[in-house]
Amino acid sequence: MTSSDTELPPEAWVTALASLDGMGPSSLRALLAQHETADEAWRTVRRGGFSPPPSAVPGPPGRAERVVAAWATTAATFDVAGCWQRHVEAGIGIVLRGTASYPAAFVDDPLPPSILFHLGDPDVVVGTRVAIVGTRDCTRYGYDLAFEMARDLSTAGISVVSGLALGIDSAAHAGALDADLAPPIAVVGSGLDVVYPRRNGPLWRRVAARGVVWSEYPLGSPAVAWHFPSRNRLIAALADVVVVVESHGKGGALLTADDAEQRGRPVMAVPGPVHSPSSVGCNELLAQSPATAMARNATDVLVAIGLQSRSQRPSTERRPSPAPDDRVVLDALGWQPATLDHLLLRTGRSIPELASALVRLEHDGWVAPRGGWYERVAKPGG
Amino acid sequence: MLATIASATLLGVTGTPVRVEVHVSAGLPGFSIVGQPDAPCREARDRVRAAILSSGLSWPNRRVTVNLAPSGVRKAGAGLDLAIAIGLLVADQQVPAAVVAQVGFIGEVGLDGSIRPVPGALPLVDALDVETVVLAPGSAVEAQLAGRHVIRSAASMRDLLASLTGDQPWPPLPSPDDLPPWSEPADLADVRGQPVPRFALEVAAAGGHHLLMSGPPGSGKTMLAQRLPGLLPLLDHDDALETTRVHSAAGVPLPPGGLVRRPPFRAPHHGASSVAIIGGGGAYLQPGEISIATNGVLFLDELAEFNVEVLDSLRQPLEEGVVRVARASHRTTFPARFQLVGAMNPCPCGDGGSPGGCRCSEHALARYVRRLSGPLVDRFDLRVPVTRPDPRHVVGGEPGESSASVAERVVAARARAAERGVRCNALLRSAELEQHAPLAAGVAERLESMLRDNRLSARGLQRVRRVALTLADLADEGPPLRAEHLDTAVSLRTEPMATALRLAG
Repeated sequence: MTSSDTELPPEAWVTALASLDGMGPSSLRALLAQHETADEAWRTVRRGGFSPPPSAVPGPPGRAERVVAAWATTAATFDVAGCWQRHVEAGIGIVLRGTASYPAAFVDDPLPPSILFHLGDPDVVVGTRVAIVGTRDCTRYGYDLAFEMARDLSTAGISVVSGLALGIDSAAHAGALDADLAPPIAVVGSGLDVVYPRRNGPLWRRVAARGVVWSEYPLGSPAVAWHFPSRNRLIAALADVVVVVESHGKGGALLTADDAEQRGRPVMAVPGPVHSPSSVGCNELLAQSPATAMARNATDVLVAIGLQSRSQRPSTERRPSPAPDDRVVLDALGWQPATLDHLLLRTGRSIPELASALVRLEHDGWVAPRGGWYERVAKPGG
Repeated sequence: MLATIASATLLGVTGTPVRVEVHVSAGLPGFSIVGQPDAPCREARDRVRAAILSSGLSWPNRRVTVNLAPSGVRKAGAGLDLAIAIGLLVADQQVPAAVVAQVGFIGEVGLDGSIRPVPGALPLVDALDVETVVLAPGSAVEAQLAGRHVIRSAASMRDLLASLTGDQPWPPLPSPDDLPPWSEPADLADVRGQPVPRFALEVAAAGGHHLLMSGPPGSGKTMLAQRLPGLLPLLDHDDALETTRVHSAAGVPLPPGGLVRRPPFRAPHHGASSVAIIGGGGAYLQPGEISIATNGVLFLDELAEFNVEVLDSLRQPLEEGVVRVARASHRTTFPARFQLVGAMNPCPCGDGGSPGGCRCSEHALARYVRRLSGPLVDRFDLRVPVTRPDPRHVVGGEPGESSASVAERVVAARARAAERGVRCNALLRSAELEQHAPLAAGVAERLESMLRDNRLSARGLQRVRRVALTLADLADEGPPLRAEHLDTAVSLRTEPMATALRLAG
């Protein structure tokens, strides 16, 4: 240890600890609970003197010992100052548990994060917040609903929290940014320089610019599968209410709903078509759990948290209404995806007639094609 | 004593004439073959010797040298056996030289003296510049297709010598009347419901457009694809001869009558190697599946399971209609003018048939989509989703329209294409589209708006225009193209579900 190392702030030591491979939130929490200061904890790890709680390092017997040995080896040569320097230079904010800037939402959490990294303004986490979560593989119905709900909530001054994943998460952030009246909040499962999924890069940057992106993981951490359940608990903790828009029978969004229930946060779900695989989880929540309320739109959510919508956005339909013939096709399409084959059987029209009607409806924004299927669009802007 | 006999060897799908020179002289008894024979060809030594002895003839106890000229060409296979045997008998003065002048010999001999067919009889005979060609009875039908020669066949060396020297007449050749009838291809009437895939099949047949079907397992993609050849017109003589030539060289069983008149349908398994699909391999380059499918249909089931290199190597033949195969020592060109029909599951789990149904991981989906390069998917002018047919149509529904009645419309549409100087609209060049596929009034604006909405790319526009032309032909209207034709063409060219899933969100 050089003399300059002794002058490093506690943030640097905890960042270094979090950078160790396999040091998850619960190991870190247990480690810091055993020590007065962070640099003491670092020295213990370097000695190989810390045994993580068994639940934090699952696996076959002997794995925990190997992990502890690997930490000691890595720590012996780890450049603590350099690691911290990189975070500072990248403009990453670091918040430790127990400091004044630690978000109030996590203070009484059963599983509080020991360290949080953020891009953007951490002080936007005030006021009422609603988490909008759901499946990555959503339908047009779910995407439109999430977009609209997030936009209307943001218009009402409510921050939307989500996870910057594909599908519903993207729709929620995009909707919140569209209104841009309340700062968007995101929690991700990778280092703040590892944009995952990559093609969400532009959205990621816009959320960071207008609101804040949180992560429990230091720079360079990959988006590995076991990060996401703990990311979900942070989303649940940050929100005053969690809305599941579309979820398959098993999915990360249902885990977020569980986390919310454990924390006493109300859970709401958007009902979907009974046959739609991507609404199975939501319908199940509504049917099985009496505490889950139905969320059909932003107003339902506002009522549930006891807020009156401050500004009612008048619904304006800017799309030209379809011609009577095209309206028949739109009605035959309904709200579930259909192929040209299905529509032929429902309307009895010829293929060219239908094709022309669909091209007109698509041009005016009433339907959207996807992989050979047609889906009805609720409102433009998504 | 020296004898020279005419024969031929195969390189790719073309025959090369070979002069078999046999020299029998005094010296230590021995038998050698020179002039670049490959292993099966060199083994002729043992077969020819046994065949001559079992046919009751004598083996010269002298020095025998066989030269296969020109020596620069590699000789492959056992097709020169018969010529070597006859040459040896002539050189040993057991057969008079006069009877083999202007006669070519092609065939493999058995140890019992029987004469056996070899692959490529048609191109081999075609390469020969003699009056008469003698082959195994099994090759006689296809050999006659070359048309310039008197074809003779004999079942054994003993019969052959008797007929050559005039002791017995040549056996009669099989007459076309004795041939069994063709088996009828599968009929489109078996397909119940599924109007859009049926229609896409009709458009594909009429315009020669490549077709991609995407749908969950059990939705009938293979069943549909198998019905495409039944919609296509029979091949004209030149095309039939070209296809027969390839089939002959590849050793594909020929139909009764020899000539491949019906468009071939090839469905290689997705585990097939690049050589099996493209061609090549071995000493003499063999045509691959794309060449065997020439003038017909190449059906790639489970398209996304094929090797990426195999799929990418399809692009050049798709563009040029030929495939050039080169090896260190030789190179050749195979015809590869095939219509590509692909079938695939919407995604690895197979449930992505409708939006929101897919349970694939991001990673699995990414790997699946990576196999379908954009340029390849772009080659498919027709891309339709196939969904499981409505149960009401499967059980007790009316049978669909029969292949025969659809084929009539296809023939009429192709006749319109022939007036434009092409076999089918898919072969029209972009420059010719302006002339042959003019737009009706007001349609240009519609296309512009589609381009602006990013519904179409500039290249996609040309492809859509070709399909629209076929649609106009099928409707018996012809150009100019109306908005409906273009809308339908766009609707029949959907983005594959896997790509849509990957780009979602």
